[in-house]
Amino acid sequence: MKDESARLGFRLTLPAQVLVLFISVFPLLMQAYISLTDWSPLSGQSWPQAWQFWNSFANYSDLLGDGRLWAALGRTAFVMAVCVPIEFMLGLGLATLFMDDFKGKRVFYSILIMPMMVVPAVAGYMFFMLFQSGGPVNDILAMFTGSPVTIAWLSDPNLALVAVMVADIWQWTPLMFLILLAGLVGVPEDQVRAATLLGANPLQRFTSIVLPRMKTIIGIALAIRVIECFKIFDTLFIMTGGGPGVATETISVYIYKIATQDLIWGYVAAIALAILIVLSVVCVWALKRMARVRA
Amino acid sequence: MTRSLAFEAFRYTMILLAVAVTLIPILWMASMAFKPIPEWQATGAALTWWPKAPTLDNFRYVFGVSNSDLIVALDRTALKPILASFLSAGIGTVIAMTAGTAAAYGLSRFGSGGNLPLALVQLRLFPPMAVMTPVMIMWAFFNMTDTWWGLALVYGIVTLPFAFWLMKTFFDDMPKEIEEAALVEGCSRARVFWRITLPMMRAPLASAALFVFILNWSDYLIALLLTTREWVTIPVYMASLSSSMTGQLYGAKAALGLMAAVPPVVLGVLIQKHLVRGLTFGALKQ
Repeated sequence: MKDESARLGFRLTLPAQVLVLFISVFPLLMQAYISLTDWSPLSGQSWPQAWQFWNSFANYSDLLGDGRLWAALGRTAFVMAVCVPIEFMLGLGLATLFMDDFKGKRVFYSILIMPMMVVPAVAGYMFFMLFQSGGPVNDILAMFTGSPVTIAWLSDPNLALVAVMVADIWQWTPLMFLILLAGLVGVPEDQVRAATLLGANPLQRFTSIVLPRMKTIIGIALAIRVIECFKIFDTLFIMTGGGPGVATETISVYIYKIATQDLIWGYVAAIALAILIVLSVVCVWALKRMARVRA
Repeated sequence: MTRSLAFEAFRYTMILLAVAVTLIPILWMASMAFKPIPEWQATGAALTWWPKAPTLDNFRYVFGVSNSDLIVALDRTALKPILASFLSAGIGTVIAMTAGTAAAYGLSRFGSGGNLPLALVQLRLFPPMAVMTPVMIMWAFFNMTDTWWGLALVYGIVTLPFAFWLMKTFFDDMPKEIEEAALVEGCSRARVFWRITLPMMRAPLASAALFVFILNWSDYLIALLLTTREWVTIPVYMASLSSSMTGQLYGAKAALGLMAAVPPVVLGVLIQKHLVRGLTFGALKQ
């Protein structure tokens, strides 16, 4: 009986194991190998012959002095540092409004979570249109200022970054809202009521009863957004293509550009591997910390 | 608990504001899709918020009906990209759901594959751009570049974590007594799975599959890297729609964008109940 279970379990998990190995181990080894060379798909040699372009770790030393890479990383961190807190505050604010019943709650809820279901590339195109100099954003601004506004959002280095962040906030605030609302609803009602009876004001109730109960949920919501924000590509790439110049070039866009335009895949592999290693370390550290907090 | 009138007013104001901000981009694209060419862009005059002369020309144009106002006809229609999107996202979903459900059941009932949860989270953690170059080399080696099956296979692997986690939480939630009773009656393990567990799981399976389909359908980057011409998906096709002759084909692109946006939004409303569970890897249930 026990043997049968073990065998069946093994067979059931086998396809997933094979797929994971297929996409992780082999590409990883290949990347480690190529990252030590100057190999490019244009070199006329297939990748197993990459050893001919051995460059004695030059890719890794280049990496440290690559200003564009560090700028892209800094920009990604900046986008993350601006967008995630704003999304969190807006999402939390909206979620608190949805805690009790009111007329039209379901309809409003369905509308408000729509943006995150829109294909990111399409969302990028929506905001590309909105931020044209003759587009609706300027039109709305003109309504308030009373005079025509012709800001060229996407061709100004600073404003392009703002536009990209607006698109990200539009699309992903609903995710925060959705997750945080699920958390708020899960806070035991009798505790809140007890606190009210003991004379706690709404702010006190929120900070001393609701927030502590939601620690894990807030952690999950923030973690998801930080991870996704680090990968940001689709919306941004459609809106600006990383431009003007390199003004909105995030880490994914930078790798995309050197992989498809400059075609120096040895270097791409080195960057990718460095990112994977750093992320893995961070991930293990975070998991360990979480395990300690829970214990 | 009755709330004050002031609070209700505040609530509705804030919510309506949020609804407006949510809807403006979507409605702008929807209205653009039905605008004739002269209304595409504001030319000195006021912006047209609502099409003055609504037309289906943009939809006809992307399906290959030439438009006298645009000098160039499209060298390929939207038909094949739509097919490519459906095929790759659909088969990708089948792959992810099959492998994911089996593995989730194996872990949930027999404790096999204990390494999978972490491995799959890590798979989700890494930026796709950082693992795509070796995949591009491998796919070229297997002649899978620019094919719907090659794309479907990547999609199946990329969304496997979601399928796995969703199904695992569903299996964990399912009362074990029913299966145990059937086992005592003399059913084999496999028979219990096919005859009892799966039929009971029909609704969760459907929502998980829809969720995975939305994710696959939403991809842009992977299709951009792995398809070049024959099997580009809708987002890639849409992004490539502009020529030096005509400039931005606003209306045509908006028509395509609208078509790409409708399926996930509709499906998303259908599976609203399970969205939180899916998005948080099953850590949170609604």
